[in-house]
Formats: sequence, structure tokens, C-alpha cells
Amino acid sequence: MKRHWWKALGVIIIFYTIIQGFLGEVPHYFILNETIRNMYFHVTMWFAMIILMLASVVYSVKHLSSGTRISDLRAKELALTGVVLAIAGLLTGSLWAKYTWGAFWVNDAKLNGAAVTFLIYLAYFILRNSVEDQQKKGRLAAVYNIFAFVMMIVFLGILPRMTDSLHPGNGGNPGFDQYDLDAQMQMVFRPAVIGWTLIAVWITTLKIRYHQLLWKKEDVKDEQL
Amino acid sequence: MVLQISEIVKLNFKLEWKKKQSVLAILLYVLSTTYLCYLVFKGSVEKETWNSLYWVVLIFAAIQAAFRSFQNEADRRFLLYYGMVKPQALILGKIIYNFIYLSIIGLFTFLLFLFFMGSEIEDPLAFIILILLACSGFASILTFVSGIAAKAGDNPALPAILSIPLLFPQLISLSSISVRALTGFSWAINGPILWVLLLLTLVTTLLSYVLFAYLWRD
Repeated sequence: MKRHWWKALGVIIIFYTIIQGFLGEVPHYFILNETIRNMYFHVTMWFAMIILMLASVVYSVKHLSSGTRISDLRAKELALTGVVLAIAGLLTGSLWAKYTWGAFWVNDAKLNGAAVTFLIYLAYFILRNSVEDQQKKGRLAAVYNIFAFVMMIVFLGILPRMTDSLHPGNGGNPGFDQYDLDAQMQMVFRPAVIGWTLIAVWITTLKIRYHQLLWKKEDVKDEQL
Repeated sequence: MVLQISEIVKLNFKLEWKKKQSVLAILLYVLSTTYLCYLVFKGSVEKETWNSLYWVVLIFAAIQAAFRSFQNEADRRFLLYYGMVKPQALILGKIIYNFIYLSIIGLFTFLLFLFFMGSEIEDPLAFIILILLACSGFASILTFVSGIAAKAGDNPALPAILSIPLLFPQLISLSSISVRALTGFSWAINGPILWVLLLLTLVTTLLSYVLFAYLWRD
């Protein structure tokens, strides 16, 4: 139990988020109306994704300095779960856009950033799969991961602030800070970021363990031969 | 270090001069694509379209051009360089070389577009400066990515899919301000974005500088 408390915490927080997200009190705003509940899902998933991608980059740096197989596996699996979160973030986001901005996809700096993030990580996996050699694959992927992450931060974090955006907090639009000063929303929003991150990390650790078991199996086979 | 860099730039130009057909191939590629645009759009186009087409044509030409910079030497010449120069010098030399090379392609494409697609440009100087700025950014990203792609083996789609998403930030800000060069450009308003673009180039060059040593090791 001592080692696994965070998994339980993640599950509890997610249940709390979902219950609060659908049943809890939310402030009412013009146009946003009830869609503001999506704050707990869309925004928090993107936050969790950034956290996972950051962890992935940390392992990529580790891999470059140590060259161990496990750090490469961790970097890859974290990025993979991050992509899943990105898909979830895109879907929840486009639903939200449909009901507030009128279309599933609009030409907006942040949306372009989201699309690029998605393309970058798909390219990352294609790069991985096109190299045969284990060592080389890990190194190339790590190098690309670091390079791509910096560009993604530039794109998601800096450029939208320079141009107009429909998203809050960019190009003259008020930040969500104005809305979500609402203490009640904050009480769900902040834990929700942690909750999604914990669940995502849990999924990742399961996949890492699965791959490690596969390695072991290979080793045993090699010994038998 | 500076000496090594300039040697690499010189060497690359010498090699390029020996194999003239590869430069000519890229220029022909640009020419035929531009003419294709001319045929499809039936002559003159709106300024916005002119601008968008220009950047799309340039970006594909740039990817083609820059990818060659490591393609031929992934295995053979890499070994030769390995004992002679520092990886940092090599990547900087290649970036500078690609910058000059891409600038030539960019300006050539610009002239072709003026010729075929209409030449009513309000501020050509601003547009040329933007092309140079764009080429510096493209050069630093594309050189590095083509290094990765060359090491990853010969998957022909790889350079494009690896580099296009990375070029988006530059391209979007560039095309949004370069259209202003066609319709009237103000240095005061667009100055900050130019600085951001320059900064972006610096960041990518710095990243290539740091990371290339790892790419290089075999």
C-alpha cells in the first residue's frame, strides 16, 4: 500500500473531477454557459500532457548521458501516453469549440499549436520505427524529442501571446484567471491536473513493466538457445 | 573553430560546384513548381494567395535542398570528417552553408514569382529581408533534421515529416507578416515579430550546436 497510494489518489481525484464536473456548481457566463465544465477536462488534460512530455524529455536527456535502455523506454512510453492525452484534449477541445465558437476547428494560434504538437509526436514515433538498431534508435529519438519539445513550448507558450487568439489570456482576450478566481472551480481544477497526471503515469508504468517483462522473456530465450 | 567552420563552408561549396546538376535540379524544381502554380491559378493572383503560394513552394524546395546536405555523406564522408573536425564546427559550417544556399533558392523563387505571378509589391526590400530571415531559420532547423534523417536510414518521407511540424512556428509568423510587405510594411509595428523570429533562429541553432555531438557519435 505504501508504494501504491498515489494510484488510489489518482482514481479518487478523477472520480471527484467527474462527479464535480457533471453535478457540481459552476458559475454562469454569457456564451460559455454550462460548457465551462469542460475546464475540468480539456484544460487539465493539456496540462497533464505537457507534464508528461516534460518527463519524457527529462528521460531523453538521461538517455543521452547514460545510454541505458530503460531511460529510452521510459521516454518513449511517456510520450505515447502524452499523445493519448493530446488526443483526448483535442476531442474535448473541439467539442467545446463547436458550442462556443461555432465550429469544431477554427484557425487559432493555440489550435495550430495543438496540431503541431500532434504532428511532432507522430513524427517522433515514425522516426523510432524507421531505425533498426536499438542504440541508434534511442539516441536519434532522444535528440529529436529534445529539439521538438523546445519548439513545442515556443509554439504553445510564446507565439499565441504574440498574435490574436480566441483562447483566453491571448491577444487581448481576458485570461481564465478572471473567471476561475471562482474558488469553487479552483477546488476542482487544480486537483484535476494532478489526477489526470497520476492516472497517465500509472498507465505508463504498466506499459513500461510490460516491456521489461518482454525483455526478460527474450533474455531467457537467448539463454536457452 | 572559426577556421574549421569556414573550411567546411568552402569545402561544401567546392563539392557543390563539382556537381552542378544538383543545384540546377533544385532551381528547376522551383521553376516547374512556380509554373505549375501559374498554370493552375491562370496568371495573376490575389496578394494573399501570392504570399501563401510563395512560402509553400519555398518550404518544399528548402526541404529538398537541405536534405541533401547529409544524404551523401551519412556513412562515407562522416568517417572522414570524424577525425578532422569537431562536431560543433561541422554543424555550424553546414548551417551557414545551407543558409547561403537556401537564400539563393529563396531569392530565385522570389524573382520567378515576380515574373509569373504578378509583381505589384509595395515593399520589396522588406520582403527580401524576410526571405533572408526565413532562410536562416529554415537552415538551422533543416540542417539538423536532415542530419537525423540521414542517420535514420533512407526513408524518403522522413525529412519532410520530421521537419514540417518544426517549421510551423516560423512559417506562420512569417507568412502573416510577409503579406504586409506586399501591401505596405511598417517596421515599427512588425519589429517585435522580426526579433522573435531571429531569436527562434538563435534557439534552434543553439540546440543543434548542443545536440549534434550526440547525433554524430556512432
